[in-house]
Amino acid sequence: MTHGRSWLPLVLVLLTLTAAASAPATAQTRFVFANESPYDTLDPHAAFDVGRVAVRLNLYDGLYRWLDNPPKLEPWLAESHTVSPDGLTYTFKLRHGAKFHDGAEITAEDVRYSAERILALKQGAASLLATMLAPGATKALDRYTVQVTLTKPAAIFLAVVPEVHVVNSALLKKHEKDGDWGAAWLAGNDAGSGSYMLTRYDPAIGFVAKRFPDHFMRWGSQFIDEIDFRFVKEDNTRVLGMIKGDYQGTGGYLPNDQVKRLREAPNVKIVEQESMRIMMFQINNQRAPLTDVHVRRAISYAFDYDGFNKEILGGTVERNPVPIPNNMWGVPRDVKGYSYNLDKAKQELGLAQAKVDRPLTVGYLQGFSQTEQAATVMANGLRKIGLDTKLTSEVWPAMVERMKKPETSPDLVVYWISTYYADPNNWIGEMFSSKQWGTFKASSFYKNPKVDDLLDAALKSTDRHVREKAYQEAARIVVGDAAGVWVYNTKYFGPWAKNIEGVRFSPIGNGQEIRWLHYAK
Amino acid sequence: MRLLALALHRLLWFAPTLFGLLVVTFVISRVIPADPVALVAGETATPAQVEVLRHELGYDRPLPVQFVDYLARLGRGDMGTSLFTRRPIVEDLAHRLPATIELTVVAMIVSVLVGIPLGVLSALWRNSLLDHALRVVTVSGLAIASFWLGIMLQLLFSMRFGWTPLNGRLPGFPPKDLTGFYLIDAALTWDWGTFGIALRHLALPAATLAFPALATLVRFTRAGVLDVMQSNFALYERAMGLPRPLIIWKYVLRSALTSTVTQIGLLFGILLAGSVVTEAVFDWPGIGTYAVNSILRSDYNAVMGFTVWAGAIFIVVNLLVDVAHTLVDPRERAS
Amino acid sequence: MSAAWFVLTRLARDRSALIGLVLIAVLVLSAVLAPVLATHPDDVFELHPSDRLKEPSGAHWLGTDRMGADVYSRLLFGARITILIGLIAVGASLAIGVPIGLVAGYHHGWVSDLLMRVSDIFLAVPQVVLAIAIAQTLGPSLPNVILALSVTYWPWFARVVYAETRALQKEVFVESTTALGASPWRLTVLHVLPNIASPIIVRASIGMGFTILTAAALGFLGLGPPPPTPEWGRTIAESREFLPDAWWYAAAPGLAIFLTVMGFNLLGDGLRDVLDPRLRRSPARDG
Repeated sequence: MTHGRSWLPLVLVLLTLTAAASAPATAQTRFVFANESPYDTLDPHAAFDVGRVAVRLNLYDGLYRWLDNPPKLEPWLAESHTVSPDGLTYTFKLRHGAKFHDGAEITAEDVRYSAERILALKQGAASLLATMLAPGATKALDRYTVQVTLTKPAAIFLAVVPEVHVVNSALLKKHEKDGDWGAAWLAGNDAGSGSYMLTRYDPAIGFVAKRFPDHFMRWGSQFIDEIDFRFVKEDNTRVLGMIKGDYQGTGGYLPNDQVKRLREAPNVKIVEQESMRIMMFQINNQRAPLTDVHVRRAISYAFDYDGFNKEILGGTVERNPVPIPNNMWGVPRDVKGYSYNLDKAKQELGLAQAKVDRPLTVGYLQGFSQTEQAATVMANGLRKIGLDTKLTSEVWPAMVERMKKPETSPDLVVYWISTYYADPNNWIGEMFSSKQWGTFKASSFYKNPKVDDLLDAALKSTDRHVREKAYQEAARIVVGDAAGVWVYNTKYFGPWAKNIEGVRFSPIGNGQEIRWLHYAK
Repeated sequence: MRLLALALHRLLWFAPTLFGLLVVTFVISRVIPADPVALVAGETATPAQVEVLRHELGYDRPLPVQFVDYLARLGRGDMGTSLFTRRPIVEDLAHRLPATIELTVVAMIVSVLVGIPLGVLSALWRNSLLDHALRVVTVSGLAIASFWLGIMLQLLFSMRFGWTPLNGRLPGFPPKDLTGFYLIDAALTWDWGTFGIALRHLALPAATLAFPALATLVRFTRAGVLDVMQSNFALYERAMGLPRPLIIWKYVLRSALTSTVTQIGLLFGILLAGSVVTEAVFDWPGIGTYAVNSILRSDYNAVMGFTVWAGAIFIVVNLLVDVAHTLVDPRERAS
Repeated sequence: MSAAWFVLTRLARDRSALIGLVLIAVLVLSAVLAPVLATHPDDVFELHPSDRLKEPSGAHWLGTDRMGADVYSRLLFGARITILIGLIAVGASLAIGVPIGLVAGYHHGWVSDLLMRVSDIFLAVPQVVLAIAIAQTLGPSLPNVILALSVTYWPWFARVVYAETRALQKEVFVESTTALGASPWRLTVLHVLPNIASPIIVRASIGMGFTILTAAALGFLGLGPPPPTPEWGRTIAESREFLPDAWWYAAAPGLAIFLTVMGFNLLGDGLRDVLDPRLRRSPARDG
């Protein structure tokens, strides 16, 4: 070895170092989702709706989680639970070693804090929980045990538990201002433990999050490193973006014409699933002339179900004649419901005692053209049997507001009821129990003591058999009474990039839980 | 002296005008049939729960009390909290302001850079083919619905040709967010890739916004130039044998600029109004969409905040334009 | 009425004004004769879901919309709505704005200042935004749109009348008639009004165009008359989700709006040239 070569090792080292430095980092996989609603808040306790579910599913965890279709309640942060014989006390055992994004361990105190927080903020799922759970009724027995004492036995409590997303109590206490439970801070920040951690957020744009490697559910060998959820308002823009490859996923309840276009796109696949999301017209049972069952029946016969479901929606939905989704238990299979029959409609009108001497107001939702089209079809049918209509529209929050009182609610309102939790009570229970008046689902303002008794019994009992019978009987009565017009049950047609695999659809999460996804090799 | 008088006179009326605007908006926003408190409480809240929230937020106090409270807060620079985003409105507005300003400024630049020369040429080559073509453009500019123009441009350039993106300022988040003006941020960080992308996103909305402004500018520049050209002193100069280009440069252009300055206030109005609808078409995350969404969602505070901001700006701009006009126009100064 | 004749003959010589007049005539005829001119007059409320989104053809000259209704026929009936909104809104703005402008122009001092500042308030916010707020508050419907537009457009009339009245006051004949003891009302009706008629007419014509555009914007945002009203702005909004395939669905109503507004603008310009050549020079605030 001559001296002249002594520089060689140095050069080699330098070259290697440079090569290593400039070698591209292993490509980060990204997933971009175009959402139709804006993510105006990141606070998991401030929202309960499907439009913003991506935040709750990806950044946060609950004690249990709804997975798959038909939806099953799976232990998540909780390993198991027990219920006291009187159905009032639930005891949850938490996992050990589950961590928040900032490294702190999740304890029973965090769960207690989260339950109290959601009740205190009075938003999102709070009103539903408040009927079963009072402030102070959640206790942390020890580091990993949470005990909840309900105000009355409620079969649906467990179904709603997934909505109590567990937040980092220590972190929130640090950012608390004027007793707001950290609400101002959490609206734009992350206090969760979910599979992904927030990196960027802008209410006008959306949010970006990166994978949380220490998540307690652990990860397989394939996953997505970074998720990007964006607000893209126009249907058309989302569709074109999917076709171009700008987005790898978007909401699965698009109009049929758009779904057709996506099917034809070479890099898009449609994941088709039976969902649970009923579209219906609520009839204001308290306002004359709709107090008369014959008038309501006439209206039920005057809607062109096939024209709407098969032609306008291209057969992508299933006729759902009762106020429980076809694929949910509790549906009375012998009930056929109403069909489009103008003769029968006129007959019923003839039998009616009440005279329809004014235009009926039909409310639909601004920004949801399907409701507009449905309202138009209804108006057309009613016109054919001699009934005048006046269409009126509001944005969803404003319509919700109107539907809380029988005096302000339109005569008919068309909208959907999605799966907030998978139980018939989510539909028929909340729609037709007179105790529910004042909530948006109960804008039928229906009052029937027999139905009330049946629905109450179903809520109290924990025997599935008993409950099923009760819901079936209640459904029979309600359909006979034509308390509403039930149009269809949605199918989910989820557009996903062709090379995405692992989509796990559930009617509650709508497939937006990205931890299961990965790109095909 | 006259300038001072004018300025003082306007300033004196600034406060009452703004006050009047606030009263009008306050009344409108509180008279809405929909109840925003209930909207915030959420879909599943019962009326009883809504009332509790109402009391917590202070919306059950008498209107005049609420109004006074609002004014007091305004004085401290607090526009209240948006009922929907739960963020201070001042923050919301500040956050979205750069988007609208960037769009408006680019549109303004385009319309000025294109409009004034075209207006001058149109006047100089009066009744030529160019002039007639421009007349068509001018008239169309104020007859086309800007939302329709935006949709048509989208249809052609984004959907059919694929040259421009469909909406938004950027796909997703900007790499570096320093000022909120994506073009400036990109230039400052030497990120020409992002600069190009942002420019492509600006292309259609700016074109849509600029079109009516451009039409107006061409028209008024043309009129202004014609005025000057036919005026006595231009004829005099011509008679004295000054070369035409010099006349143009010396008088015509200066006059053109004068009329432009006068038009800036007008332009600003057109652009601001146009931005509301244009932003809606292109999902531009600016003040326009914020205003529309706030109104549609009956977000009291946000509507008030927007109105205060827009009103104040408008009044100030009008004042400045009047002042500038007085300064620039020799005729005004002489009288 | 020789004045009117004079105006008409002068107008007839202005080619673009003539084009404007023709366009307006087409609009009015379409509106009035809609039931006759339409190929499918029932499609204003009838639906044919199996015929949706068909291309222009012999059966449907401008294709069909998302409900299967004939676009061309609905366009004609839409003209009725357009004219209705325009006429009433501009008429109401005129009825509000002219008197206010007169009073403000005639008086000096705080009354006049106050009135003009009030009109400033309404001008401070873009008309579109104010109209949206009002329409949303009252609920989307035809009367509310008209109301919203009238309430936001009157300041333009008030300003013009104010400026003209002030200018006239300096005229000798006004001073002399006042000196002779004529009452203010007499003065206004007999002398002032006829002189400001021209700018008002011009403003009204331009106002029609402007109002129609704003009404279409409201319809586009969903704040106009509800379905199945074939309002042009709403139709454009409906068509968006079917682009680029059903391009005729969006192009037709937009073109209709364009031609209509252009008609009024051209006429307004022509009237301005004829009625008051002075106006052509001054870079008056336009809108």
